[in-house]
Amino acid sequence: MRIRYLFAAALVAILPMVAPNQFYLLLASDIAYLAIAAIGLNILIGLSGQLSIGQAGFYAVGGYTSAILAMKYGIPLALSAACGLVAGLLVGGIMSLVALRTRTHYLAMATLAFGFIVEILVQRWVDLTGGSMGLIGDPRLNYGSVADGPTYFFWTVGAALVLCQMFSDYIIQSEWGRRLLAVKESEKFAATIGIHAPLWRAATFTFAAVLASLSGIFFVHQSGYISSDAFGLDRSIQFLIVVVVGGLGRPYAAVLGAAFIVVLNQATASLYEVSYLIFGVIFLGVMLFFPTGISGLLEATGRRFVRQPREEQGSAATIEPFNRRGIDAEFALGLEGVVKSYAGVKAVDDASLLVRTGTIHALIGPNGAGKSTLINVISGLYLAERGTIRLFGQDVSRSPAHMRARMGMARTFQNLQLISGIPVLENVMLGLHRHKGMMAGFLDWLMSGRLEAQQRAIALGILAFFGVEKFAKARVGDLSYGHRKLVEMARAVAQQPVLMLLDEPIAGLNEEEAKEVAKAIRQLRQRGMTVVLVEHNMPFVMGISDRVTVLNYGRIIGEGTPAEIQNDAAVISAYLGAAAIDGEPVAAEARA
Amino acid sequence: MQSIDLVQVVVSGLAMGSVYTLMGMGLFITFLTSRALNFGQGDFLMVATFVSMALALAGMPAILGIALTLVGLAGLGAVLERVAVRPLGQGGAGGADSLGWVLTTMGVGMILQNIVTLVWGKSKFYSPPLFGKGDKQIVEILGAGVFLEEILVAGSCLVVVAVLLWILFRTRWGNAISAVAFDKDTASLLAIDVKKTIMLSYVIMAVLAAICGILVGPIVSAQAHMGLLYVLKGFAVVCIGGFVNPVGILIAGLAFGLVEAFSNYFDSSLGDLYPFLMVLGFLVARPSGLFGEGRMDLR
Repeated sequence: MRIRYLFAAALVAILPMVAPNQFYLLLASDIAYLAIAAIGLNILIGLSGQLSIGQAGFYAVGGYTSAILAMKYGIPLALSAACGLVAGLLVGGIMSLVALRTRTHYLAMATLAFGFIVEILVQRWVDLTGGSMGLIGDPRLNYGSVADGPTYFFWTVGAALVLCQMFSDYIIQSEWGRRLLAVKESEKFAATIGIHAPLWRAATFTFAAVLASLSGIFFVHQSGYISSDAFGLDRSIQFLIVVVVGGLGRPYAAVLGAAFIVVLNQATASLYEVSYLIFGVIFLGVMLFFPTGISGLLEATGRRFVRQPREEQGSAATIEPFNRRGIDAEFALGLEGVVKSYAGVKAVDDASLLVRTGTIHALIGPNGAGKSTLINVISGLYLAERGTIRLFGQDVSRSPAHMRARMGMARTFQNLQLISGIPVLENVMLGLHRHKGMMAGFLDWLMSGRLEAQQRAIALGILAFFGVEKFAKARVGDLSYGHRKLVEMARAVAQQPVLMLLDEPIAGLNEEEAKEVAKAIRQLRQRGMTVVLVEHNMPFVMGISDRVTVLNYGRIIGEGTPAEIQNDAAVISAYLGAAAIDGEPVAAEARA
Repeated sequence: MQSIDLVQVVVSGLAMGSVYTLMGMGLFITFLTSRALNFGQGDFLMVATFVSMALALAGMPAILGIALTLVGLAGLGAVLERVAVRPLGQGGAGGADSLGWVLTTMGVGMILQNIVTLVWGKSKFYSPPLFGKGDKQIVEILGAGVFLEEILVAGSCLVVVAVLLWILFRTRWGNAISAVAFDKDTASLLAIDVKKTIMLSYVIMAVLAAICGILVGPIVSAQAHMGLLYVLKGFAVVCIGGFVNPVGILIAGLAFGLVEAFSNYFDSSLGDLYPFLMVLGFLVARPSGLFGEGRMDLR
C-alpha cells in the first residue's frame, strides 16, 4: 500500500481544523481545483507531447453546463456536475479528433482558437451565461450547510485532487507513461512497438479535457457567482504557467505550480501596481535558474537527503522462450511484386522475396538501392503502392504498422529510436507486452510497493543477454553509440518477435561489439527467431546470413547463399562498377 | 453591401492583415533559428507604439522618432535573446521542449507592460498620424473615402515584407539563418556564428514588431495590454501559412485581415468569432498550413 496517499488524505481531512480561518481554506480549495486541471495538462504536454493553450474552453464547458443545469433547470448538483463532466468528455472527444489532425504549434493554435471560440460564446451569449455581468445564485457545493460550506467544499475538492494525483502518479510511473513518451518521441516509432499512437493521443487529450471540466465544475460551485471573465485566454495561460513553473512532465508539477501561483497571486494582491513586474521577474528567475521548474529545484535540494534507489535485482542473462505464433508457417515473410515510389522515383520496384522461417536473411545493395525503404514497407511505416506482403502466411499489405508489430514483428532503426529521458531499463520494458489492464494494473500498483517487478526482471535479463545490464539505470544519452545500439536490440527482443528487422545493426560499432552482435543474432536464430537485416559490412553479412538478397535501383538483382552471391556477375557489377566485368553488363544494363 | 463600404472594408482589412503578416514573420524567424517564439512579441509592438507616440508628441521629427524607436527595440530584441532565450539552452532538460521559453518571454512581456502602465497609466491613447497632416485624413478611391493612414500602413508593411524576403533569400544573413535553421552543428562547421545568427533573428523580430507598433499607433487606440491580440493573430497567421514559408505567411496574413474586416462588418457583435472558427476549420483541413511541412521523423 502506498502510504503517501493516506498522508495526503489525512492532510486534506485535518486542514479545515487547523486553518486559522476560512480564508486559508479558500486558498487551499483554489489550489486544489487549479491543480486538477493542471494534472491533465501536465500529462497532455509532458508525456504525450500535445501542447494545448485552450484548456479554459473545457473548463468553461464543464463549469457552465453544470451551473446552468443546476440553476436554471433545478437539477440536483451531483447530477448537473455529472452532466458537466459528460459535456467535457464529448467536447474533449471531438476536439481530440482535431488534435489528431495537427501537431506541435499547429495544435497549440487549434486549441487556442477553440479556447477563443468558447470564450467569445460565453461572453456574448448573455441570455444563457449572463456574460461578464455573470450569473448569481448558482448553487454552492456545500451539502446544505452555509456555515460549514467551505469546509465541505474543500474536502470534496481535496479528495478529488488526491484521486487525480494517484491516477497521474500511476500513469507516470507505469508502462502507460512510457508508452505516451514513446508517442511523444515519434509516432512512427511507437507504431513499430505495437502502440496505436492516434488512440493514445486522443485518449490523453480527452482525459485532460475531462479534468479541466472537473476543475471548472468545482470553480462554478464554489462561490455561487460566475462571470465569463474567468473563462478566457488568461485562464488557459494560467494552466500552462502552472505546469511549466511546477516542472513540466514531473509527477508533482501540477500541485507545486498551482500552490505557487495561488500564493503568489495573494502575496502580490496589495501590490497590484507592480504585480505584472513581479510576475515577470519571477517567471524569468524560476525558468533561468531552474529550467525544470519547482520540481527541479526540489529534486536538486532533496537529492542529498533522499536515499538512492535500490539496486535492480540481478538476474541471469535470459530471454524468455519465444512466442511460437506463426512459426509453423514455412515463410515468416513473403513479398510479391512490391512497389513503393517517392514523387515518381521508384525506390522499390517489383520486389519479390521469401524469407524462410528461422533463418537469417540479409538485404544488401549500394547506397540508395532501396533497402531502408523496403524495411519501412515491411514494417508498415510506408504502405506499398502495389504488391502483397505476407507475414507468417497472412496478408498484411494494408495493415498499419502497430498491427504488424503485434503480430510478432520487431525492428531496429538506422538512427536509433530510444527515449533519452528515461533509463535504459525502461526503454527495454517499452518493448514488453502489456500484462494487465489499466484498472488491474492500478490496483496492483497501489497495493504493492514494488511496481512491475516481474517486467523489470525480464527486461534486465534481456539486457544481460546483450551484456549491457550494468547500464540498466543509466540514461540513454550517457551511453556510447555501440551500447545504444545494443539497448535498441534489447528493446526489440523484449517485444518477443518472431520476425526481427535489423537496419544496419553493426554500423558504427567497433570490431569487438560487432562480434557480440553477431553472436547474439545467431543465438536469436537458435531460439527460432527469423532475422532480416540490412548491412553494408560484407564480411559480417557473408559470415552470418543463410541467404542474401541484393537490391540495386529498387530492383532485386540477385538472391542466393552468401557463396552464390559473392560470385554473381550482376552483383559484382553493382558493387564494383560495370567495367569490372569486361563491359558486357554495361550493355545489358543499358538495354534494361 | 455597397461598393463604397466594400472598398473601405478591403482597405482596412489589408492594413490590419499586413500588420499581422509582419507579426507572423517575426514569430517565424525566431522559430526558425531557436525553435522558440517570443510570447511577448505583442508587448514589443505595444512598447514601440508608446515610445514612438511619446517622441512624436514631444515634437521630435517623425523620421528621427521612428529611427530611435527601431534602434531601441532592436536592442531590446537582442537583450531578450541573451537574457530570456539563450540561457535555456537547446534541447535537453531546459531546452525548447520544456517550454521554459513560454514563461521567460512572457515574463519579459509582462515586465514591459508593467513599466508602460507605470509611465503612462492605464488609459487609452491615440497617436498622432504618421503620414497625413491633421486628423484622419481621407483620400478617395473608386468613389469611396478611405483613411490615408490605412493605405500607407498596408503599403509600408508590404515594402517591409519585400525587404525581409530579400534579406532571407538573397543575403549572407539570410543564408546564415537558413543554415542555422537546418542544423546548428553543420552551420557552425560552415563558419557561421550560430549564437550571433540566433541573436540576429531576435533583432529582426523586434524590428518587425517595432514597425508594426509604429504603424498601428495612429489607426488603433493604444493601451498597455494591447499586444496580446496581435501576437495571437500573428501566430494564427504563421500556422495558416505554415512554419516553412514566408510567402505563405504573407498570403495568410492578408487573408486573415480581410476575413476579420468582413466579419466585423457583417456581424458587429460576433465579428471576432468567425476568423477563429475559420482558423480551426482550416487547421483541420490543412493540419500544417498552406505550405505544409513534410518531414519524416525516422529513417
